[in-house]
Amino acid sequence: MNLTRQEQSRLLDCLLEMGDLLLDCGAEIGRVEDTLSRMGHAYGAEQMNVFVIPSLISVSMSFPDTEAITETRRIHSFGNTDFYRLEKINAMSRQCSVSPIPLDELRARLDKVAHGRKPFSMVLWGSILAGGGFAVFFGGDLWDGLVAAVFAAAICLLQNRLGKTQLGVVASNLMVSLVIGLGVGLVVELIPALHMDKILIGDIMLLIPGLAMTNAIRNTLLGNTISGVVRLAESLIWAAALAGGFMVALVIVGLLP
Amino acid sequence: MKTALIQLLTAFISSWGFSMLFGLRRRFLIYAALGGVLCWGVYLGMDAWTHMEFLSCLMAAASTVVYAELLARRLKTPATLFVVPAILPLVPGGSLYYTMENIVHGQLEAARSYGQQTLIAALAIAAGISFVVALRELRARR
Repeated sequence: MNLTRQEQSRLLDCLLEMGDLLLDCGAEIGRVEDTLSRMGHAYGAEQMNVFVIPSLISVSMSFPDTEAITETRRIHSFGNTDFYRLEKINAMSRQCSVSPIPLDELRARLDKVAHGRKPFSMVLWGSILAGGGFAVFFGGDLWDGLVAAVFAAAICLLQNRLGKTQLGVVASNLMVSLVIGLGVGLVVELIPALHMDKILIGDIMLLIPGLAMTNAIRNTLLGNTISGVVRLAESLIWAAALAGGFMVALVIVGLLP
Repeated sequence: MKTALIQLLTAFISSWGFSMLFGLRRRFLIYAALGGVLCWGVYLGMDAWTHMEFLSCLMAAASTVVYAELLARRLKTPATLFVVPAILPLVPGGSLYYTMENIVHGQLEAARSYGQQTLIAALAIAAGISFVVALRELRARR
């Protein structure tokens, strides 16, 4: 496939967009680098130099007989696991490695993925099942599970609200955990038969950056040290915010008569 | 025995829930949820056999990744889709909570012990995943 100079730079734009979307869906750094390299080669690039860290993508590609072109993009989105879009982008990259998609179509499909979101009802029901399920999993009884499920729905709605206000992850986690901690504390105060710890654990599972942390350690072990360390620091601060909110809630609830 | 059954059932429900939360395609939900059951089942089995927290966690994580990789190859999707929701039952939410609770109540000794448990579990999961990924890469390079 022979691309004109102009087409090459349009392809580069598409690649950066693709990397941005992949990071936004919560793809691992290695996957992003790998996908972008493959895409470039599929379109006939001779050399692909892709460098990705959580806040930056840099792609330099050279085609036979022409100078290399390079572009960088600053990434502001924070990885929010979204398999719906991840899968779409992955399918695109698979298709390209068999036969490259024409550039106009590639652009159109990327735009479509960028605007498509996973359906909110699915997220809501998922939170309810997961929060309730984990409360029972960690030793709560059926009632604990039900209360945890109700608060899981509250978390989901709160996060959706806060997500629209451009609040940082740390601040929004702090707020959510404080509100949920207080809410659960009050309910348990009214109905003492419930187990506060089990309910909160079920709901914490929804907020915990356990996966971010695991991924960070994994990145580090597999050689992506920079990204691993950045992600680890991010998720530790995130966990600290979460713990801070819950601890303040526990202290306030403890002061109740 | 009853506890184990309840845990396996709720692991199924929770992994299913998380897959929905992450926007997994409806057709794949069942595989992710079964992965959660497999993951916790291996953990329970290993724990009953060896009584070693770290090793059980590591083996459970590793077998979940193998399961996800095999599925991914068959369904032609990234393995992450199944690894992420299925491995969640191993995430130490319980000990993390008790760490915080003990800090609030000033019982630092207990907090330290729970904190240690949390860290060990996180490390074991990461090690289990890395182990399989490293083996896969070795095979691919050959």
